[in-house]
Amino acid sequence: MSDFLVITRAAKSFAGARVLDGVDLGVKRGEFVSLLGPSGCGKTTLLRIVAGLLAPDAGTVRLDGEDITARPPHRRDVGVVFQNYALFPHLTVAENVAFGLAARRAPRERIRATVARFLDLVHMQDFADRSVRALSGGQQQRVAVARALAVGPKLLLLDEPFSALDRKLRETMQIELKRLLRELSTTAVFVTHDQDEALMMSDRIAVISRGAIEQLADPATIYHRPATPFVLGFVGLSTRISGSVIEAHEGQVVLSTPHGRLRASGSLPPGAKAFVAVRPERIEVAPTAGKGNQIELPLRDVVFQGSKVQLHFDVAEGDRVIVEAAQLPNLRIEPGARLRLSFAAADAIAFQSESS
Amino acid sequence: MRARAREPLDPVGWLALPAVAYLLFIYALPLLLLLAHAVMGPQGFTLAPLAAFFADPFNWQVIANTLRIAALVTLVCLVIGYPTAFALAWSAGWTQVILLAAIILPLSVGVVVKAFAWQIVLRRDGVLSSAMMKLGLWDEPLRLLFTETGLVLGAANVFLPFMILPIYSVVKLIDPRLNEAGATLGATPVYRFRRVVLPLTLPGVVTGVVFVFSLSIAMYVIPSLLIGDRFQTLATLIGRSFLFMRNEQLGSTTATVLLVLAVAVVVGSGVLARRLGRSA
Amino acid sequence: MTRAEQGATVAVWTIASIAVIFLLTPLVVTIAVSFGSSAIFTLPPPDWSFRWYARLAATRGLLPALITSVEIAALSTLVALVLGTLCSIALVRGRFPGREAISTFLVSPLMLPGLVIGIAMLQGFRAVGLREVWTSLLIAHVVITMPFVVRTVLAALSLFDFSLIDAARTLGCSYLAALRKVLAPALAPAFLTSGMFAFLASMDNYPISIFFTDAWTKTLPIQMLQYVEESPDPTIAAISTGLILLAVAALFIGDRLVGLRRLADF
Repeated sequence: MSDFLVITRAAKSFAGARVLDGVDLGVKRGEFVSLLGPSGCGKTTLLRIVAGLLAPDAGTVRLDGEDITARPPHRRDVGVVFQNYALFPHLTVAENVAFGLAARRAPRERIRATVARFLDLVHMQDFADRSVRALSGGQQQRVAVARALAVGPKLLLLDEPFSALDRKLRETMQIELKRLLRELSTTAVFVTHDQDEALMMSDRIAVISRGAIEQLADPATIYHRPATPFVLGFVGLSTRISGSVIEAHEGQVVLSTPHGRLRASGSLPPGAKAFVAVRPERIEVAPTAGKGNQIELPLRDVVFQGSKVQLHFDVAEGDRVIVEAAQLPNLRIEPGARLRLSFAAADAIAFQSESS
Repeated sequence: MRARAREPLDPVGWLALPAVAYLLFIYALPLLLLLAHAVMGPQGFTLAPLAAFFADPFNWQVIANTLRIAALVTLVCLVIGYPTAFALAWSAGWTQVILLAAIILPLSVGVVVKAFAWQIVLRRDGVLSSAMMKLGLWDEPLRLLFTETGLVLGAANVFLPFMILPIYSVVKLIDPRLNEAGATLGATPVYRFRRVVLPLTLPGVVTGVVFVFSLSIAMYVIPSLLIGDRFQTLATLIGRSFLFMRNEQLGSTTATVLLVLAVAVVVGSGVLARRLGRSA
Repeated sequence: MTRAEQGATVAVWTIASIAVIFLLTPLVVTIAVSFGSSAIFTLPPPDWSFRWYARLAATRGLLPALITSVEIAALSTLVALVLGTLCSIALVRGRFPGREAISTFLVSPLMLPGLVIGIAMLQGFRAVGLREVWTSLLIAHVVITMPFVVRTVLAALSLFDFSLIDAARTLGCSYLAALRKVLAPALAPAFLTSGMFAFLASMDNYPISIFFTDAWTKTLPIQMLQYVEESPDPTIAAISTGLILLAVAALFIGDRLVGLRRLADF
């Protein structure tokens, strides 16, 4: 099945700075794809190009088989939920939701029915005749989503819609939005800088840095098999132990590090400066036979986080070792104590060190 | 909730007393006396002077003149001022400086200077005439001085900033995302203007219209210099009554009529503004 | 951009250009006429000359009128600044009924016909026996300047965060020092813009001043209108050009101190 949304070689520069560097992206019908990256990486620019609010310097956008690159936003059938909601302050909630349908001259009965249905879907039926100015952030959010979906767009774009909400509300809204989109079978592209949000909501994630997609994959792959150091560092915590490659063999390498020899997956030439990365929860405290890599390090900090504990270890400058466990192991855990740590080679990835 | 006993007057409130007392005695009181005099004769309450005023068809002509000119001036200012306010909001850098200077500088210069300059412009052999002929719009030199058209032009010129600035202050507050939101919902540019931008600018438009209309019904120097004695407005009639005809009774009566009219405009606009605010 | 949007943009900028030319025309014409050699107001003038400026010194009544106008404007603005600021503080910080009514009342002179206010005050002053022209003029002009001060200072004060004064006091300032170091600088732009507009409004005022004048006391607009009526020649244009230069200087200083954008905050 060919992709529903196809972005080809999208490029954009502002004041000489290249914000988007020839980006390619394909989104399948009904899919939820997140554009994840730090501020300034170009994700919002890409979104605005798809929406038609910004013209690319180069590249094309195809939606449902049609080339929409040259079309103005009001003829693209692409809905947008803005970061600050952009609700019309002089209209009521119902009038806001009805706006798109009224603009398309839909018959009044259909408008009324559709508005009622979508207000119901976002649980805002009781607010229909209220002014939007009196609503809380979460309520405005829901009206914004209802408004965008009421016209039945082919594609829904969301620009960091939950960034202004507090954590509890955000989590509720995330679940609700996913449920709603699934119910309506709407394709969605979601921009965020919050990796937890992306991991939780997406079918696939495009990690973007400096105008280019570093990796496009499902959340599990992004998390367990990051393709680049950037993805590794941006999504989730990771250890980093530097060394140099002494053996390379069929997708696995052996590194010589100040803490001993470590085995990890990767393809790097012998002699290359590299580092080993492991997710904190894949490291165990106390030696366990058969786990492959074993190192011993002095403990620096214990950070209690409610459902889990983080152990930070003293390592060389620029490196980092963090271990996450559900509870403190039954050992003498005190800053300064030397602990034995082990992790499987299959859980470790070797990356080339960036030239210093 | 405790029931509130009579609260002592907030001591900070006394700071307002000097200004309020000043205006009460120097400004409000004399105005009230003026109103009172209009209905007070030697024998007490009388509507005779007012009745005499409204009985004279000439005075009705004067009122009509006043309202008609004010309406035309307001219309011209609105047509030119509304788009200009948008240009000002969109502008940046030197363009903005030029626009702002063009709007604020004339305000600082004074009405006598401007009215006098328009006298020069509107003359038969004046700047406007020659420019129009060069552009091929006129076949022969036309005199606009001492005509209503000239008066409307001159007054619009003086009052235009008072239309532009209130509208500008509202336009620059409009979130550009609203227009984008409208577009992504499928609304054409015209629809977006009609249903999003225009309603949101309405408060500024009302302020501007009220300002310009109020200034226009009260203007004295501009009609004196640009249209002459054959055409009278309420303000010029008042001026003539006091300064040339020495008929203070007529002057006071006319002043009362103008005052009531001005107050009606202000009060009416307040009601309108509140009605607009409520529907938002 | 769609064609409709492009068309609208062109229309807006075209009308704005027309507006700019329209607004600046009287100023440009005045300056041009003042440098013309002919006594009739023809443009372009047959020749350029400074003769009308040379006549300025010899023009009777010009300097006294100018001095009178400046004195009245300065003093009435000063009084308005003091009374108006005190009142604005009361309106923003005080808790008493009728605050909105009071602020509307204080700004109302702007909206009512000056001519009517002038007549009313003339009759009022006469009724209490005040016939001294200069004093009457001053008292009347405070009514003109007050609304500008109250409007602007009130707006500035309602935006001011008074917890900043508390912060200053916790850092060691006395209450008065806190007012001086925190409130005064925050209000300075408001004082400047309102003072400037109030001063100009007073200098420019005709409808109220016309009722408070005699052979020895005239404000500048009164005097200028007299010239126009009695002996219209480009000397008036020369005076006007002087005023235009003054306005440009005031705008320039205003821009340097608070920025043109702030001046436009009507």
